[in-house]
Amino acid sequence: MQKQRWAVAIAAATTLALTGCAPDSATTGGESDGPIKIGIIADLTGATGDVGTPYNEGMLGYIDWINAEGGIDGREIDATSKDYAYDVPTAERLYKEYINDGAVAIQGWGTGDSEALMNKVAADELPFMSASYAEVLTDPAEAPYNFVVAPTYSDQMRVALNWISEDAGGQAEVAMFHNDSPFGLAPLADGQSWISDQGLDLNMKPYPMPAGSANYVGLLSQAKQQGAKYIMIQNVSSPAAQVAKDIEAQGLDMKIVCLNWCADEQFVDTAGPASEGHVLVQPFAPITADMEGHQVIEEYLTEKGSSLADEGLHYAQGWYTMHIMAEGIKAALEEGDDLSGAAIREALETMGAIDTGGVVGAGEVEFSEDSHRGSTSTGIYVAKGGEMEPLETGVTPE
Amino acid sequence: MAATATGIFHRSYQRELSLRHTKAEYFRLALVLAAMVVVPYMVDNYWLSIVNTILIAVIGAVGLNILVGFTGQISLGQGGFLAVGAFTSALLYQRADLPAPLSIACAVVVTAGAGALFGLPALRLKGLYLAIATLASQEIIVFIARRWSFLRDGSAPMSVDRLHIGGFEITRELFEWQWYWILLTCAVLSVLAARNLFRSGLGRSFMAVRDQDIAASAMGVNVTRAKVTAFAVSSGFVGFAGALSAHYTETVTWESFTLEVSILYLAMIIVGGLGSIAGSVYGAFFMMLIPVFLNELLHAVGDTVPFLLSRLPAIENAVFGLVIIIFLLSEPRGLDRIWQRMKDYIRFWPFRY
Amino acid sequence: MNTFLNLTVYGLSDGAILALAALGFVLIYKATGVINFAQGELLLIGAYTLYAAFVVFRLPMGVAVIIGVVFAILLGLVIERLILRPLVGENAISVIMVTIGLAALLRAVVQMIFGTRPVPQPALLPRTPIELLPGTSVPANRLLVILIAAIVLTAFTMFFRRSRHGIAMRAVADDQQAALTMGISVRRIFAMAWALAALSALVGGILLGDVTEVSGRLASFGLFVFPVVILGGLDSVPGTIVGGLTIGLTYQYVSGYGDPGLAQIAPYLLLLAILLVRPYGLFGETRIERV
Repeated sequence: MQKQRWAVAIAAATTLALTGCAPDSATTGGESDGPIKIGIIADLTGATGDVGTPYNEGMLGYIDWINAEGGIDGREIDATSKDYAYDVPTAERLYKEYINDGAVAIQGWGTGDSEALMNKVAADELPFMSASYAEVLTDPAEAPYNFVVAPTYSDQMRVALNWISEDAGGQAEVAMFHNDSPFGLAPLADGQSWISDQGLDLNMKPYPMPAGSANYVGLLSQAKQQGAKYIMIQNVSSPAAQVAKDIEAQGLDMKIVCLNWCADEQFVDTAGPASEGHVLVQPFAPITADMEGHQVIEEYLTEKGSSLADEGLHYAQGWYTMHIMAEGIKAALEEGDDLSGAAIREALETMGAIDTGGVVGAGEVEFSEDSHRGSTSTGIYVAKGGEMEPLETGVTPE
Repeated sequence: MAATATGIFHRSYQRELSLRHTKAEYFRLALVLAAMVVVPYMVDNYWLSIVNTILIAVIGAVGLNILVGFTGQISLGQGGFLAVGAFTSALLYQRADLPAPLSIACAVVVTAGAGALFGLPALRLKGLYLAIATLASQEIIVFIARRWSFLRDGSAPMSVDRLHIGGFEITRELFEWQWYWILLTCAVLSVLAARNLFRSGLGRSFMAVRDQDIAASAMGVNVTRAKVTAFAVSSGFVGFAGALSAHYTETVTWESFTLEVSILYLAMIIVGGLGSIAGSVYGAFFMMLIPVFLNELLHAVGDTVPFLLSRLPAIENAVFGLVIIIFLLSEPRGLDRIWQRMKDYIRFWPFRY
Repeated sequence: MNTFLNLTVYGLSDGAILALAALGFVLIYKATGVINFAQGELLLIGAYTLYAAFVVFRLPMGVAVIIGVVFAILLGLVIERLILRPLVGENAISVIMVTIGLAALLRAVVQMIFGTRPVPQPALLPRTPIELLPGTSVPANRLLVILIAAIVLTAFTMFFRRSRHGIAMRAVADDQQAALTMGISVRRIFAMAWALAALSALVGGILLGDVTEVSGRLASFGLFVFPVVILGGLDSVPGTIVGGLTIGLTYQYVSGYGDPGLAQIAPYLLLLAILLVRPYGLFGETRIERV
């Protein structure tokens, strides 16, 4: 008995003593001449995998292309891209893996992981771009290392509300169908304040879209009771396409206004003829617009035996998001500094406008010390004959 | 048939009850302790972070095994209880400014209470019906976590400040390292507590309920008390794991507590071995390490076979499912039984049995 | 009134598909005691099999359906033989876990072959709006879904009431030992249960894929099978039908008249309420346990 007690006491003391001595922590930061390490967290098989996959492929395509062109100032990009299937703990694990490998910048994907990693990337000083356009990520006070390349969901909603007000010629009822999650709710509050600030004569009511639904007739009948003629959808393409099909099946006189995550070719294809006449708010230019920025992608893809038409606009979205980061890295290198996260951030904030060949927003993306919102300009399209036709481009919330 | 070492004679009840009897067992224990102490010096930060996540999972798996393996109550509500623990601790720590040990303790108590509450209907439900009821509780808790704006910071998930207890604060450079010791202590204490639980009358009453609850009640075991207590104790452990994960990952988001998480924990205890605390530990390590190793393997192979690379994520999921199926087909009683068989083989050698 | 009728039709059509899916689940549980977590994935495979046969290989509809049926039966038999048979007598939870592993595997295989985006499938059932009452029109495909599901479910009911194999299955479900002494091959019944479950999932999956879309999302429909089973009990096909329709209607009414987000958990709240009062489900029989 006594012996046991002594053994335990000695073991405890030894352990305590050992906790005092810590090993050297791994050094991070880019070496001065080697490849540039970037970590990519992608959703390939998760809930948003159907749009996450082409986005990720666009990113990887860009990296492949730029490495073939000689890399950034002669240094190749060494990117590691892994699937997290929209599981936030996995994203956190991948993030730690990338830091450990010495990444200097991270490309994320969704609102869930972007917001979860917001504080970590700030503490670890790694610039973070993603396909989440939540407003909170654009504020350098809240998220100093996050950069949002496209107009936020709130900006898109403001533009959409303006358009609806114009289209309705004054008064209108708007039903906002949204994904039943914080992603879905993100722009709602800002949208409501926009309506009252701008004195728009609109009445907007939110309706959460339950997951796993085979039809949205319930929501549509509530919208109909509200008298809504416009359905704004903040969700991904599949549920939005289902809404379009239900509207057609019910013969309702309602127009869908999709925000960027359902405003793509996939919505038009899945909804088929039911997509006709619905409006799509999309900051990234669709393939059919054939912008200058699309040409370089098309050349690259043709060499690989594919084409932009096969890949879709999310491919271009990923391509140019990576491009913007690469330009920031290039500017940081040209400043002559050591390639570190802090240097890239400073470069992005001070380098001025980055050209994206007309693909992102109005074509140019610019960050500053006060705002990490790259662009506020978006395009409004209408689905006609299975294609996205432009109604207005370069629209900003005013 | 499990072999026991011969030549062990106990001279007191206390000796008989002790956790280790033979020199060989003590030796293996010493090896494990040595490994625990040496690990943080041997691996880099990334792997240390994986170990930390596993340690939290161990606590959760032990809790679930108490309920499912030892008391025979099927539960799909693990994710929900993790959420209760995580949110409670985060709320008390962030918004009520309670010191961390107190907020974690409160989280344990609150989750245990929630578990007892869910245990009450369990008195009447068995088998499939209980499983479905716990599934319902899981979905409802996730729904609340997703919708209730009180649980968020505006539209962003709740973030938890870096852990500080009194004057001690976790630093950025030594983050994984400091957390390792904290989590290791918590995990060791949990495992010891669980082992001791099943040396006591209460623990044995749990097992009686699992084996034959009607016979147990005929023998004088208070089945109601046993079941409700089992739920409470199990949920307490799970709440502990949830609270620790909230402080460790520094965010609390509903997406970490979905049905997939419940299923993952079930997989851990089944692959590890139902009704065995050591099995929970093995299972936690195994199931958490599979995706990591799979990732590494497929990335290494993927360069040479481009087709595989494009279908990488689907292959990962397929292998995950296959591993579970093959494992269950070859040894349904889990890793614990496999280890036992290995030991028995050596003990019985050169005899077959 | 219009809204009500509208919601009712949609609720019944979703409920009918649920009943088909739940039927398979109940078959397996009653005959073999296995809680099958892969039911949603069987729906998924059913839908994709038809897609492959009809769209990818451009076979005529009749041939495609026959191929689907044959494939579903074979799949059920293979699953039972390779995966469930070795686990007979094991812990219930191990068996649940194996079906969960199976679900992951099936999902991954579909993803591997077809990718994650919804696949383009032309409408199999016509979508023309039919006017039930002046002012209320529902698309024909929803009504046809109810009809087709009703036919299939009636066929199953007849099978269990009249045919030898159906009665044999009911005997095994009731008491395996007694059935064995009567000369019924329990092994064959197990295999049949899985084959029939895959078959009903095939029909359910095809119908669901047609009214919504053929993509990985079909599998998550399978989760609603559980509330259906609680409601309808595990002992009769009519019970399953009632359960399926009730859940479908509940979901629809909540999304139409209340907070649509609640529609997702309304079935679970309902089932918790029922279980509190009747622990063996609404129509279930109390199980007598002997020690």
